[in-house]
Amino acid sequence: MSYDASARAARGTVPASDATFWGRLAGWGPYRAMASFTTASPRRQFIVLAVFPILWVLTQHLGPMVQMLRVSLTDAYPVAPGVEQHLTIEHYLKFFQDPLFWQPFFRTLIFAGVFTFCTLILTYPVAYFLARHVSPKNRMLLLLLLLIPFWVGEIVRTYAIMILLGNTGAVNLVLKWFGLIDRPIPFMYTSFSMGVGIVYLTALYMLLPLYSALEKLPKSLNEAAADLGAGAWTRFRRVTLPLTIEGISSGCTLVFLISTGFYATPVLLGGPSTTVFAETIAGFFHVAGTQWPTGAAFAIIMFLAALCITAAFQRLMTMLRKGDKT
Amino acid sequence: MNRRNRILLSCVYWAFVAYVFVPLILMVLMGFKDSKFIGFPIRSYTLDWYMGVFEDAETISAFLYSVAIAVLSTIGSIIVGTWIAVLLEGRKFWGRAVIFGMTILPALIPGIISAIAFRIYARYLGIEPGMGAIVWAHAVHNVPFVVLVVMARLSTLPKSQIEAARDLGADPLIAFLRITFPYLVPAIMGASIFCLLLSFDDFVRSFFLGGYEPTLPVLIFAKLKSGMSPEINAIATAALLLTAVIGVWAERFTRRMNKDS
Amino acid sequence: MTKLILNRRKFLSTTAAAGATLASPAYLRRAHAQQGGEVNIWTYNDFVPEAFKEQFQDETGIKVNVRLVDDQGKQFSLLAAEAPNPTVDIMTVAGHRFLQFIDSDLLAPLDLDRLTSWGNINPTFSESDWSTINGEKWGAPILSGMEVLAYNSDVVTAEEAQTWDTLFSDQYAGQNAYIIQDMMSIVMLMMGYDGNMVAYLDDPEKAAQIVEEAKNFLIENKPKVRKFYDGGAEFQQMMVNQDIVLGHSWNGPAAALINDGFPLGMTIPQEGSYGFVYTYNIAKNCPNPDNAYTFLNAILGSPEIGAAMTKASGFISTYKDSSQYLTDLEKKSTSFPDEQLANLQFFRSEANEMKYGLVDPAVEAIKAA
Repeated sequence: MSYDASARAARGTVPASDATFWGRLAGWGPYRAMASFTTASPRRQFIVLAVFPILWVLTQHLGPMVQMLRVSLTDAYPVAPGVEQHLTIEHYLKFFQDPLFWQPFFRTLIFAGVFTFCTLILTYPVAYFLARHVSPKNRMLLLLLLLIPFWVGEIVRTYAIMILLGNTGAVNLVLKWFGLIDRPIPFMYTSFSMGVGIVYLTALYMLLPLYSALEKLPKSLNEAAADLGAGAWTRFRRVTLPLTIEGISSGCTLVFLISTGFYATPVLLGGPSTTVFAETIAGFFHVAGTQWPTGAAFAIIMFLAALCITAAFQRLMTMLRKGDKT
Repeated sequence: MNRRNRILLSCVYWAFVAYVFVPLILMVLMGFKDSKFIGFPIRSYTLDWYMGVFEDAETISAFLYSVAIAVLSTIGSIIVGTWIAVLLEGRKFWGRAVIFGMTILPALIPGIISAIAFRIYARYLGIEPGMGAIVWAHAVHNVPFVVLVVMARLSTLPKSQIEAARDLGADPLIAFLRITFPYLVPAIMGASIFCLLLSFDDFVRSFFLGGYEPTLPVLIFAKLKSGMSPEINAIATAALLLTAVIGVWAERFTRRMNKDS
Repeated sequence: MTKLILNRRKFLSTTAAAGATLASPAYLRRAHAQQGGEVNIWTYNDFVPEAFKEQFQDETGIKVNVRLVDDQGKQFSLLAAEAPNPTVDIMTVAGHRFLQFIDSDLLAPLDLDRLTSWGNINPTFSESDWSTINGEKWGAPILSGMEVLAYNSDVVTAEEAQTWDTLFSDQYAGQNAYIIQDMMSIVMLMMGYDGNMVAYLDDPEKAAQIVEEAKNFLIENKPKVRKFYDGGAEFQQMMVNQDIVLGHSWNGPAAALINDGFPLGMTIPQEGSYGFVYTYNIAKNCPNPDNAYTFLNAILGSPEIGAAMTKASGFISTYKDSSQYLTDLEKKSTSFPDEQLANLQFFRSEANEMKYGLVDPAVEAIKAA
């Protein structure tokens, strides 16, 4: 649906629109009563708008977390019957007292940052190409083309990457066939193979916000800048980039958040020295099935850290945007 | 625009397409391997794995089950997510930051933790494990993604449009439905694709909240226990083909709708 | 343990046996009196053979709902989340993880008077030391697995595979893989200690020192390992892709590779190794206890069912006389020479709390090293 068309239609028909559906709706008694009741004052209008979302986030988003917080503060969970539960913060202290956990923790944050950056660098030109150099008719098709592979489950895709990068994998076979190597290159089970797998998974989450930001960028702006004698790089830096910061920021936020929580891909594609924090947390839930409180406490620590970083990042982006406008 | 740049960009695009598609092609190819394991070298080929998929009632019903869950949970996420985005974007009120924080909460929690939290909470609420519980968990989990995408689009909505409509006598709801909503459609489409993907691909929440009927990822995980066989590749390929067909049809359909309207 | 191994040998070499047939044995006819209903089972793929399931449903009118699980820990978490009123009747627990389930009060002890097919299980498994806890039986053994050294026989010789040392040799550096948790027990065994740690229950200091020693050994050898893996499918894929040429593995995944024609060999090395048993267990407060017993009696009813499970999973059947239903290749991939079997011990759970209290942090330390 084209936005312009409907906006035009809206503008044209709102005043004398008794014949249209909207006009009939606006004139329908019960609707009028409802509308005038709910919009009588800005305050009432706000309450009507806000009640449902607030109830939803409180009960649906916060509820499970509160349950988890409760678990993280108890000394034993699941509780055996007859055993009394006590409140404790020992599980939080455990993280701060044992340097053993710091390494996977910081590694996860660093990996997530690096992979987010790689994803951005890789997908920005792709989104740019799609939004600026492809005719609108083919755009959707080319975009859909890129979405197809993401429809394959994470595990199957991950095994496909093993078949690609293994010692007898496709890449090594091709290199060997061209006589470039004698012995296979061990790509698998390194941070490289892990990066290939993770960027594959995150690319989509970066691509879509970037694409929608670039798509709505008016072409005329660039042309105007070119008329003023700005070179391609300057145009990109001074015009395109600042105007797409919104997209970059939401894409990076999404990808960063998603990559801190990845479990299966790093476990399957990583090597002996690439343990991520999600793996540590999951360990408390399944390898040692009775340590839920520790796992829950660690999850909350991870969550708070990711939240802080995201908030700082968002602030930085807002500053950049404001800085550019002045 | 400079021709050289254009060629360079299209090379990057097609290199990206290759990166994304090569594993996929390998997956499709391995479904033809006459062995119980995937990998090179392939000594002989067979059609049995692919034929088997369409004869296997368990796989087909798992696929349909996953599709139904994805569609239902996406509808839920879109409604709730758009609503929250409209509330949060461009409004200043006491507690806005807190609500925003709570909104993106589900996206921040690692899968296994969120799955267990949902499971405990479902029991607390009295939701029976099964389709309803999975739809609920997927819908809640996907809301933040909808909110982020819709808010990004909403922030660029020219205020003048709404004001014009209001000046002309449209009440807020009609102004929303006629001006804001059409403007949001591309973002909502994008967000729907996100949600469908996240739901269709989700293993851990489906596992913890599911009943005795497996979703496709749960079935694949269970089959993986006895080895990564070409059968799994064949199932994934078939699922991909079917969803691609549905996707292309949906795209055509919306395009035709747009032309008509 | 010696008695156990003798029984085991006898069991594994049994070929000919009196004809037990699948064709509608007595248990099913008796079960006809039941009025249908359903039975809910959590188990691994292929642990309830499809043909058996259909026959059982037809003849008893009880609907079998199978929920596939893929991991013991997840199963535990799931059951713990459902307790005290689970939806499940029968689960599949690994024998050495009993204690965790029992301590959390998730299992009901088996009532052997109602379990008329109990006698069909090889006593090696049904009567061995790990199977009785607190004076009760908690699970009916169905399949058995063991930790083996598996190797690509085009590269590694059978002689080299006789010792775990080869796994840590410089020659195969970067071409090996193992599951750390499991390897910890084996390293303790290599060093001449009791990997079950039951012997050190009264001496926690000694236990801590042993775990420390094993941990240091694995940290020292970390530069040579290609991958710490978790699942059998990963191991198989590494072998097929030739990312590794040898590794520690469970016998099931290795057997599946052998049966597919991959040049794989497996041994129980001279330093010894551990085995475990999958059992069917009844959940505490399960919704359909009567149907659960009917199901257990039926599935344990014939060695042919046991053989079908072995064919599908690669694990060794615990049923008496089931090997007569296997082909020669299947027999080969699920049996070991007597002198190797003599090195095998079963995992035990008595010291698990102490053991995993020490081993889990050690595993984290190895990963972080």
